[in-house]
Amino acid sequence: MRAIRPLSLTAVVATAAALALSLPPGRVLIEQSMVWHMLAQMPLLLLAGALAAAAAEQHRWSNRAADRLQRAARFNRYGLGSLMLAQCLLAYWMLPALIDRAVLLPGADAAKLAGLWIAGAALRLGLRQAPAAVQLFFGGTALPMLVWLGLYMAAGETRLCNAYTLDSQILAGRGLVALALGVGTAWVAWHLRARLRERGAPAAPGQRLPHRAP
Amino acid sequence: MAAPASPARPNPAPAAAKPADGLLPSFATCLAVLALGLTAIFQATDGGSAFTTETLRRSQVARAPAPVPDFAVVDAQGRVQPLHRLLAQGGRVWIVDFEYTRCLSLCRVGGSVMQRLQDEIAARGMAGRVGLLSISFDPLNDGPPALADHARRLRMQPGLWQLVALRDEADRRRLLDAFGILVLPAPRGEFEHNAALHLVDAQARLVRIVDLGEPETALTGALSLAGP
Repeated sequence: MRAIRPLSLTAVVATAAALALSLPPGRVLIEQSMVWHMLAQMPLLLLAGALAAAAAEQHRWSNRAADRLQRAARFNRYGLGSLMLAQCLLAYWMLPALIDRAVLLPGADAAKLAGLWIAGAALRLGLRQAPAAVQLFFGGTALPMLVWLGLYMAAGETRLCNAYTLDSQILAGRGLVALALGVGTAWVAWHLRARLRERGAPAAPGQRLPHRAP
Repeated sequence: MAAPASPARPNPAPAAAKPADGLLPSFATCLAVLALGLTAIFQATDGGSAFTTETLRRSQVARAPAPVPDFAVVDAQGRVQPLHRLLAQGGRVWIVDFEYTRCLSLCRVGGSVMQRLQDEIAARGMAGRVGLLSISFDPLNDGPPALADHARRLRMQPGLWQLVALRDEADRRRLLDAFGILVLPAPRGEFEHNAALHLVDAQARLVRIVDLGEPETALTGALSLAGP
């Protein structure tokens, strides 16, 4: 298949870029700036995981592996399990105390790298299977949570992370609000476009959303 | 449709998976993941009560007092003594804060809170039970002359409010770790750090950490620790 190589390559590049921010020369950036940590490295990790999951979907698995995957899919209908996993991992690594730990302790940082990468993969796996209503449920709780956290950080009344200056936190807070609003808007736009397309071509073969057979 | 006999086939699209086996396994997975996630968050936040390093530090100290290690400290007169001996003076409970004398903006708040505490302690005649102690974490710049200058500026009353700095720069890390203070360099040669009022008893145990905005709580706490 033509698409396999470029997708895996982008996944590897994104993973390497995110890792580079946790290793010596690049580490200074996430140690000094909450913006680099929360708005560059963390989204990059999610993206890297998502790209890897997308590449894995395109991979031509052996019959045996494909059967196993299909059997495992029983436990993840509509991507419920994956989305819940992504939600938990994201909530965990948004806790100010854990952001501090990731900056101060290499072990915690390694756990964060793995956790958010897996969250990205789970997000891709889940969103691909979830109907719009399930996506709305998860997005509708996670995105407002991010907006609230961003506004709280940007208000600057309390310094949430001992590892970062208040200025850095305020900047990261504003960025987080913008990011969450941007993702929400993109989601709505994407679905509107898909609905409009469906209306334009009602006889399109293959349903995008899984439905139980009547 | 892909023939099942083909040697290799792409990962089947989830829409093609048979939904006939019901949602129960997926719901169970979902609940298990949620339970694990909540347990992890519960553990990391001290039972959902502390979301920042600062609140965690406070609740840990409140649960189990932490021994403060001994350091050689130097005061404005250039006298060097072990911190533990200073703390044991008169069997008092100490309200401790951390400062550096070059501070221009942020830690002014800490200084004025300590000043108010000093006035209150003096007015209520409690100097025999509660003492104030400011420790500088900047031993490179805060020698005795800088300390004397700072003490004058803040109108510290000797015997009621002590100001000391570390004698050895090498002790800085250990001191800050013992109290859970993280100091970050800020613009114009200043520092930014988590600030609070630390209650330390005469046995050199860090017993409680109180918000800088609640000096009354710190004073009441210190008095109840000191006993009648």
